[in-house]
Amino acid sequence: MDTAFALQLLVNGLMIGAVYALIASGLSLTFGVIGIVNFAHGELYMVFAMLAYFVAGYLETPFSLSIALVMLTALCVGAVLYEVLLRRLAGKDFERSVLGTMGLAMVLQNGAIFLFTTTPRMVPHTLSYSAYTFGSVAVPALKLLAAALATAALGLVWWMLHHTQLGRAMRGLAQSHDAAMMVGIDVRAVSRLAVAIGVGLAGLAGAALAPVYSIHPTMGFAFIFKAFAIVTIGGLGNFGGTIIAALMIGMLESFAGTLGSLVMADTLSFAFMILILLFKPEGLFGRGVRI
Amino acid sequence: MKSLIAFAFAAALSGVLPLHAARAQDNAPIMIASTLPLSGNVASFGEMARWGAELAVAQVNAAGGIRGRKVQFDVQDNRCNPAEAVKVTTQMLSDPAYVALFDGLCSSVVLSVMPVVERERIPLVVATASATSISDKSGVGGNPWTFKFNPSDATLAVAMVDWLKKQGLADKIAFLGEDTDFGRSGASGFETALKAGGGKLAAADFYQQGTADFSAVLTKLRSMQPSVLALYALAGDQRNIVSQFMTSGLKMPLTGRLITDVIPAEIIKSGAIDGSTSVQPYSFEIDTPENKAFVAAFKAAHGREPNAIAYSAYDAMRTLLDAIARAPSVDRTAVRDALKATRMQSLIGGEIVFDENNLAHNYAVILQIKDGKVSIVGLSKT
Repeated sequence: MDTAFALQLLVNGLMIGAVYALIASGLSLTFGVIGIVNFAHGELYMVFAMLAYFVAGYLETPFSLSIALVMLTALCVGAVLYEVLLRRLAGKDFERSVLGTMGLAMVLQNGAIFLFTTTPRMVPHTLSYSAYTFGSVAVPALKLLAAALATAALGLVWWMLHHTQLGRAMRGLAQSHDAAMMVGIDVRAVSRLAVAIGVGLAGLAGAALAPVYSIHPTMGFAFIFKAFAIVTIGGLGNFGGTIIAALMIGMLESFAGTLGSLVMADTLSFAFMILILLFKPEGLFGRGVRI
Repeated sequence: MKSLIAFAFAAALSGVLPLHAARAQDNAPIMIASTLPLSGNVASFGEMARWGAELAVAQVNAAGGIRGRKVQFDVQDNRCNPAEAVKVTTQMLSDPAYVALFDGLCSSVVLSVMPVVERERIPLVVATASATSISDKSGVGGNPWTFKFNPSDATLAVAMVDWLKKQGLADKIAFLGEDTDFGRSGASGFETALKAGGGKLAAADFYQQGTADFSAVLTKLRSMQPSVLALYALAGDQRNIVSQFMTSGLKMPLTGRLITDVIPAEIIKSGAIDGSTSVQPYSFEIDTPENKAFVAAFKAAHGREPNAIAYSAYDAMRTLLDAIARAPSVDRTAVRDALKATRMQSLIGGEIVFDENNLAHNYAVILQIKDGKVSIVGLSKT
């Protein structure tokens, strides 16, 4: 394998990993703070991609403004989702939260089919079919933009978690719900904000990737199980662990998909998750240090 | 006296009621069952198949039906999932009123319901599923109830490879297809067609339906530099592959079952995939009066031109309705025998006659993208 080829695989892996990190980190944040695996997260990503299509493709709003609008909407949707559904499921039986969020996923997917039809669409962009080349390494322009946005957003959330009062409150809540209440943390407000940020990240993913991957009602399904595997590998609720696991899976898929086959790449990702569940059920980076 | 009246009344009833029931039966609609993917990844294709079949049924009903009876076409969702299709088909066929089963769209679905139709002894007309194994297992292949209207992947692949050979592009063909019976049949069809000339596929790769990122396999292809890339991908998957192909640095033409109305128009117009070819069972631009009438009727009903799936569903339903009309009764065996004896003209000029494997041999259409436009470059009998 020559250096340029290996470098191309490395770049591909980083790009895929950044996309996975953006989608999976919202799932991780939500689980970390309120203890619910939101199985509707993939469908939320799909809904926001469709919203981006409507805003950028149909209303012809500039792409950067569309991303901001979709993300803002996603933050609001996240807050409403917490108040209307997730708050009522938090702390109850695990089965209730699984069924509740899966039910929401079904409603969103079938609602999208009804309203949007299943015809695949893509947000048009002047850079849609452009790539930057560094020597013989090609990097699709819009994928690079999405990866840059993902890095910035995840960096911001990381900074917020570790350097602000709100972040400390979220981490405190993640460690002990009761202790957080005892020290005066407003559990409801902090949880609402955590879910809003988690859904906001799905909104950013939907909008930033709208000109990269085709948009259709079942697009979220492919990502949610991969995201769940990543969150499990990284340690359920461990924000930093999720990002590292996403990059690892991105690399694994890039190398296995190129040197082997795409089907093998998918198989290896889930086989890796099973191995982690067998030998390190708390995930590679453990739950003790979550978010 | 009272008992005499009662006897007369009972006798009258016993005579009249069966007559009434028989008349009700005579006027009952002729029922055709179908399962199509109305949700899931390929639901847009299921919708097109439904529209095509419904148009044929509507036209027959508007012309007075068959022997004065309306045709009723009942469709349920199979989600392109074989297990779901078997469940739904079994439920539908528990009603003996159904005289035939229509399509299923996905090859895996059709293959999974073939044992069901054999058990229920009901004719199945396959309009759109293309796996070669469907016809291999039909007629003399073992299942006398399954009839395949559209060309199989093997026959389409032979037509496509012949064309590529003439263009000098068949020396290093790479294949990328979905990991289903459709994709696998496409690969084996290409492999078989190439083997006939002493060649073979340079590479064959498969992916799970719904995969979003193809950078890994496109990077592999870049290092191989095949002369042409054959795609067996549907809907959103094909759109993703072609879009990412554009940014991958790959320059070779595409071929296979390229669906030109799925590829973004700006890519075709840009000329970037000029020279790409596609083998399809249909193009709405085929210039026959029957096809023009179909395109006009379809466009009036749905505001868009029909694609290959809508066409196949329409023409296959016409074939089934023709068989029902020719059969001496709507008995399932009579309809099957009438299907076997079919000899009718397809909309695109081919003659529909089922061979010993119950496979019809309609025309295949070779399309080519040239100067940013899609045009028909040939019709080839399959």
